[in-house]
Amino acid sequence: MTGTLTAPTPRGGRIRYHRVLFHVTATLVALLFLAPIAWVVLASFRQATDSLKPPLPPWPTDGFTADSYVRLQEFGQSILHYTGNSAFVAIGTAVLTIIVSVLAGYGFSRYRFPLKGLVFVLILSTIMIPFQSILTPLFLLLAKMGLQNKLIGLVLIYTTLQLPFSVFMMRNAFDAVPKEIEEAARIDGMKGIAMLTKVMIPLVKPGIVTVGLFAFLNAWNEFLAALVLLTDQDKFTLPVLMTAVRYGRFGSVDWGAVQAGVMVMMIPCLILFLILQRSYIRGLTAGAVK
Amino acid sequence: MNRMGGTAREPAGLSLKRVHKSYGAHEVLKDISLDIQGGEFVVFVGPSGCGKSTLLRLIAGLEDITAGDVYISDTDVTERDPSDRGIAMVFQTYALYPHMTVAENMGFGLRAARRPRTEIEQKVRQAAEVLRLTDYLDRRPGQLSGGQRQRVAIGRAIVRDPDVFLFDEPLSNLDAELRVGMRIEIARLHQELRNTMIYVTHDQTEAMTLADRIVVLRDGRIEQIGTPSQLYDDPDNVFVAGFIGSPKMNFFKAVVQGADRLRLGETELPCPRTDAAIAGPVILGLRPEDLRVAGPEEPGFPMEVKFSEFLGGTTYVYGEIPGGTGCTVELERSRQARPGTILTLTADIADMRLFDVEGMRIR
Ligand SMILES: Nc1ncnc2c1ncn2[C@@H]1O[C@H](COP(=O)(O)OP(=O)(O)OP(=O)(O)O)[C@@H](O)[C@H]1O
Ligand SMILES: [Mg+2]
Repeated sequence: MTGTLTAPTPRGGRIRYHRVLFHVTATLVALLFLAPIAWVVLASFRQATDSLKPPLPPWPTDGFTADSYVRLQEFGQSILHYTGNSAFVAIGTAVLTIIVSVLAGYGFSRYRFPLKGLVFVLILSTIMIPFQSILTPLFLLLAKMGLQNKLIGLVLIYTTLQLPFSVFMMRNAFDAVPKEIEEAARIDGMKGIAMLTKVMIPLVKPGIVTVGLFAFLNAWNEFLAALVLLTDQDKFTLPVLMTAVRYGRFGSVDWGAVQAGVMVMMIPCLILFLILQRSYIRGLTAGAVK
Repeated sequence: MNRMGGTAREPAGLSLKRVHKSYGAHEVLKDISLDIQGGEFVVFVGPSGCGKSTLLRLIAGLEDITAGDVYISDTDVTERDPSDRGIAMVFQTYALYPHMTVAENMGFGLRAARRPRTEIEQKVRQAAEVLRLTDYLDRRPGQLSGGQRQRVAIGRAIVRDPDVFLFDEPLSNLDAELRVGMRIEIARLHQELRNTMIYVTHDQTEAMTLADRIVVLRDGRIEQIGTPSQLYDDPDNVFVAGFIGSPKMNFFKAVVQGADRLRLGETELPCPRTDAAIAGPVILGLRPEDLRVAGPEEPGFPMEVKFSEFLGGTTYVYGEIPGGTGCTVELERSRQARPGTILTLTADIADMRLFDVEGMRIR
């Protein structure tokens, strides 16, 4: 009966080599990803002259200063104004994309209509067209509608570009909701919009968050269409502002202000991702059936 | 008077009048007519794909009916929405709303109907008491066991206070022990609520123990309707005789000779009396539990033992009669039957069922 007398081996105390390996690898990969960001953060605090020097060592050699941020703030309108432009475009794109893709995804998932398969494939196939190639026609279209140089025009373009992927995502999300839940809700008296908002949307929330986040980030970071479409400096979004800021007062390239701008652009994305990552990852349907 | 809600109304009946259902060219239900009394517990059984679920879903209004009418308590509900038919349904997969607590799940239908909060709370609490779910009201479905989830699904149906309960194989996702427990619970619920209940199952035991009446379906048609003992003792045809009872009834080819002799291979057996005079080939049906080893003087037919299953109280012996037809016998436990031995079997004349060659019962 020695088995009952000796204490069991405490599992947590033993070193597991595969776990050590895992943590070392993960740390290395994380460092690899974080290094450029750290570089940007440090560079944004350099002196104006310092920022023109070779980037090694990465930290400011002439002492920390917030001068770059001041120069950024003094360019054109305030930085808050341009952030506002970007926020309008990004949030507008995210909201519009969510509304359209939820409705379309629900329709494709749950309703039968003629040519459904063909329409869906057509929508998906637009992913394969590089959007740069349709920029000119898009520009002409918007000009005809009087929407060039307007932020709302940009929202429409971004939403259009975002939709194929988003509709696909939302259709999959709705497909994953068991039919029986919908039928139970029908028996409970749900129909039409109430069915969608009270029963279905809570179940596809992770899909909505994913779609919204992608739309927001893509719109927030997009450069080319914004550059082509916006001519008025008042209307610039942050990526376009960055190119404008680059050519500072004396004709030299102002890397410091650009780094500061990149910081300003990065922070909202980081915050958003941290807030949403939980529902982004969690699958809500767990436990619904079986 | 029941414990739920205190509505002492008469339980509502249900009737189906010449119901058809097709998916495209594929006819799934063919001319189903059925009357169910208020308060009755009716079980639909039949092989997989015979249309049990489809019929239940037609009653619920989840599928459009191709032709025919559905009446619930003498009102034509064929064109009504599922929520206006006075039904509640319990699904095999539970189909709970995962984003709501147990209490919210059960009260959802009443909230959708904009009933007062106090009424909803009271009904949910009552249903939770009946189903012993009071401690779980604030949990989400994901935090419950399978049996508890199924009780919540039943609770959601009870709270709707329906005229007719519909169950589509509600227990088939549960393990054997839990299934027995929930079966008893459903029987108790029916006694307590006295509502009309329609229940779809694959499970013989569930059908036999729960049903007031069983409806046997095959290929979208009703084969027979009757109480469990009617179906067991007095089947209309070979299909029903073979479907009800476990292990299956044995069927042998036989020939009626003269007025009262039945020839089974080399053996002559007495022939049961029938209303109509018969002659020529018939099918003889004998349940394994009605067969026994013949006494020394009795006429009997031989069976070669292939293998046997010991089940504690009884033993099932599987074998072949001359001609190669399979045969199953239930023997008492003391009886030894080694593979290869020959048993001489016989049965009481009252336990013999005769069918014509088309499989219809000869009475
Ligand atoms: N949406 C549908 N479209 C086409 N055919 C269908 C559809 N739903 C069911 N069927 C067909 O209808 C027939 C009956 O299906 P049903 O689900 O009612 O069978 P069931 O008796 O409940 O079977 P099981 O015991 O396996 O649940 C099947 O042959 C099935 O293929
Ligand atoms: Mg079924």
